[in-house]
Amino acid sequence: MAETKITRRAFVGGSLAASALAALAACGQKKAATTGSGSAAADNPTATGNTLVFYINDPVAIDPYNLQESEGAQVGQILFDSLVDWDFEKNEWAYAAAESHTVSEDGLTYTFTLKDATFHNGDKVDAASFKRGWERLLDSKMKTPGEIGYHLAPVAGYQDMVDGKATELSGVKAVDEKTLEVTLSAPMGDFMAVLCHPGLAPVPKAAVDDPDSFLLAPIGNGPFKMDGKWESGQYIDVVKFDDYYGDAPKIDGVHFSIQKDPDTAFREFEAGNIDFCQIPTGRLKENAKKYGEAEDGYTVTPKHQALFGSEMSTYYLACNLKDETIANKDLRHAISLAINRQNIVDTLFEGKRTPATCIFPPLIDSDSSNAWKYCPAEPDVEQAKKIIADAGLEGTEVTLNYNSGGGHEDIMSIVQSDLEAVGLKVTQSAQEWAAYLDSLTNGNFQLGRLGWIADYPTMDNFIYPNFFSTADNNYSKYNNPELDAATEAARQIQDETERKAKYREINQMAGEDLPIIPIMWYSHVHIGSERVKTLFYDPQGKADLDKAELNA
Amino acid sequence: MLKYILKRVLQFIPVFLGVTIILFAMENIVPGDPIKLMAGEKKLDPQTEINLRASFHLIQTDADGNPIYDENGDTIETPMWERCALYVNGLLHGDLGISYQRKGQAVADILGAKYPYTFKLAVVAIVLEAVVGIGAGLVSAIKRYSFWDVFVTLTTSILVAMPAFWLGMLLQLFFGVYLKDWTGGAFYLPISADFSPSAVFDEGMYYILPAITLASVSTAYAARIMRSQLLEVMNQDYIRTARAKGLSGRQVIWRHALKNAMIPVVTYIGNDFGAMMAGAILTETVFNWPGVGYETYRAINQRDWPIVLGSVTVIVILVMVINLLVDISYAFLDPRIRYGAPKDEA
Repeated sequence: MAETKITRRAFVGGSLAASALAALAACGQKKAATTGSGSAAADNPTATGNTLVFYINDPVAIDPYNLQESEGAQVGQILFDSLVDWDFEKNEWAYAAAESHTVSEDGLTYTFTLKDATFHNGDKVDAASFKRGWERLLDSKMKTPGEIGYHLAPVAGYQDMVDGKATELSGVKAVDEKTLEVTLSAPMGDFMAVLCHPGLAPVPKAAVDDPDSFLLAPIGNGPFKMDGKWESGQYIDVVKFDDYYGDAPKIDGVHFSIQKDPDTAFREFEAGNIDFCQIPTGRLKENAKKYGEAEDGYTVTPKHQALFGSEMSTYYLACNLKDETIANKDLRHAISLAINRQNIVDTLFEGKRTPATCIFPPLIDSDSSNAWKYCPAEPDVEQAKKIIADAGLEGTEVTLNYNSGGGHEDIMSIVQSDLEAVGLKVTQSAQEWAAYLDSLTNGNFQLGRLGWIADYPTMDNFIYPNFFSTADNNYSKYNNPELDAATEAARQIQDETERKAKYREINQMAGEDLPIIPIMWYSHVHIGSERVKTLFYDPQGKADLDKAELNA
Repeated sequence: MLKYILKRVLQFIPVFLGVTIILFAMENIVPGDPIKLMAGEKKLDPQTEINLRASFHLIQTDADGNPIYDENGDTIETPMWERCALYVNGLLHGDLGISYQRKGQAVADILGAKYPYTFKLAVVAIVLEAVVGIGAGLVSAIKRYSFWDVFVTLTTSILVAMPAFWLGMLLQLFFGVYLKDWTGGAFYLPISADFSPSAVFDEGMYYILPAITLASVSTAYAARIMRSQLLEVMNQDYIRTARAKGLSGRQVIWRHALKNAMIPVVTYIGNDFGAMMAGAILTETVFNWPGVGYETYRAINQRDWPIVLGSVTVIVILVMVINLLVDISYAFLDPRIRYGAPKDEA
């Protein structure tokens, strides 16, 4: 009896669901009816017209106050113009929103004269709009405070504003409509490179009046303006801004196709629906052959569509110097000597990445003297073994820590076998990213995998954040007073040649101590469609969309 | 009856509070600091980190929102119960908070933009699953050991064994890339979702491949359940009685067997619909579907707790309401079921 009752209940529930389904089926059919003609659209593929379809991952933010990762920076860069911009051809800064500038003799005061320009909403770009924009980076009262305020750390009054003691950045003054005066707390030779960051852009009053709209549809002074708002996880549309002060873009607009999975994006590329995306791992050579390789590694042109140019970023192992085992410098030397970097890039990256022999990627500084003594591309097994024997380190147990996924397992497995070949005992510890970051921060690691991507293309940006004793990114807890003093001195040198020489010295100091073990330098793995006449994708991973051209 | 409904609605409150407390406890137990995770591989400047914590009420702040420091100059963490109370209070005012990782964006806006897509895809997939699953099961049970039975059995075995993302990739390659090549661009299907103004296809076309992928495994199960249930029912006494009365085979199946055999299938499909409403991570990833499944998955990975809380809250409420509706309807549809006091015949 009880059994039938249950069956009965289930039946009733079932028929309810069934009737709901019938109702849903009805709307499903309606949908099907409207879609019947869909295939007719086939002769109008997405990637047509003068709009470039560009694959990105969902950005963190496109409002300049929080531009940090490459996706956000890519979109922000074409919506906004900072005072200056980095010219990768000449490898130096060039004026953008600024017309000219002077630096005081003590190197502390920068005075900029602005070009005549308007925002996308017609407001004038004046000195006050720069001050407004920069202060938003540091405003702790924003709904979610920005994370990139550190770019302004050299400016006087930075600390007071971050600490909440001041509501204004005292080092930035709008002298008159077209004159912006920036005072630094200490001279900084590379300050112009810092100013190239797309986050240091001017914003109109609208950013303050209606921050919620500005967040998703920022109003900038750049060559393109928003067309609608950022649809999270879907797309961002931008169109040419007609009143742009500089050279007008040659394309009408960009459709940023936001994709979750780069492999899906690549299939869209193969189907001719996306103009620019990444090549999936393991298919580099195949596609280089099929679509042709760009001669310079950075510029897409028809038949030369695959880009493998070197990037300004380094893949490395951070050595936890607070760990008793790793604190042994001989051990670090032996480990670094034993790793077969060439083998890693050849087997896992089809030879498209480069073995790292010091902290500076070649584009930052390619001086031949930079290579570290203990960082050969091909391993020196004999010497590694000798160091281990001399120091009595045979059988020392070391752990390779890394975050799971992203292909790191394969790299770490090669490193493991290399280290075991010279007589060390190696274990791997893979954690999910969030947990791994906890381990890194709390010092619960021995050799931790990390990557460093340049904020600005300067040598300082590789030395200071990673090696300076109190720098935030110094996960190794490296503390070398001599290096600290040299870095502080180098930062103040105004003469470029002299400054570079100093940084090369510091690079060698780090190379002797090995607070980190560089593994390889990243490279582009990107590809453009046949439609693209020319598109430059710079070593920092941002496309010059305002200079891009499409074949009609 | 009214009393019963009221009682059930009141039961929502402890269930909901329980779930919220569990989630807040998870936030404390699970490793990974959402604020430290914000900057990716780079590290946040310490004062910026404090300001961010203050803006999310993770540390105590004064009336102006400035962080309060103790005598050692350290910030004071907001206790879990207080954050929990803040959250529930916000929820009662329709405020689900601000996402940690999607800078400055309200959770309600983020989820509100994604739920319609999840719902629509789930509806299409469920219809597909019901029609194909039940149909295939029927054919294979009625024509047992025929070619079609073997065909259905084989196909369902393959589908059950095939991971969703792989099937999705194959469908994309075949219908999106190869078919376009072969037909010279005359006919093909969209590879990934595009609901932008510049979309090439009618909106409905974007549902085809994801719906097939999402429904595939469940359709196979539905067909198998349907087949075995119908075969089992056909061996029952009352079917023999029906045949003995002289009913035709078709009448026996349609009027007697099918009704009873459908129960488990429809229950299965109903449950599946609930599961789909929570989002489908793999299908959404492969087809770039702007739904809640991937958003929740991303939020869990990045410890974006406000989003996790928001989407779980919505799911909990949905499930509780659906269950209540089903239970109430039992009383109306089955005269033997009575809720509340024995004499309350309302």
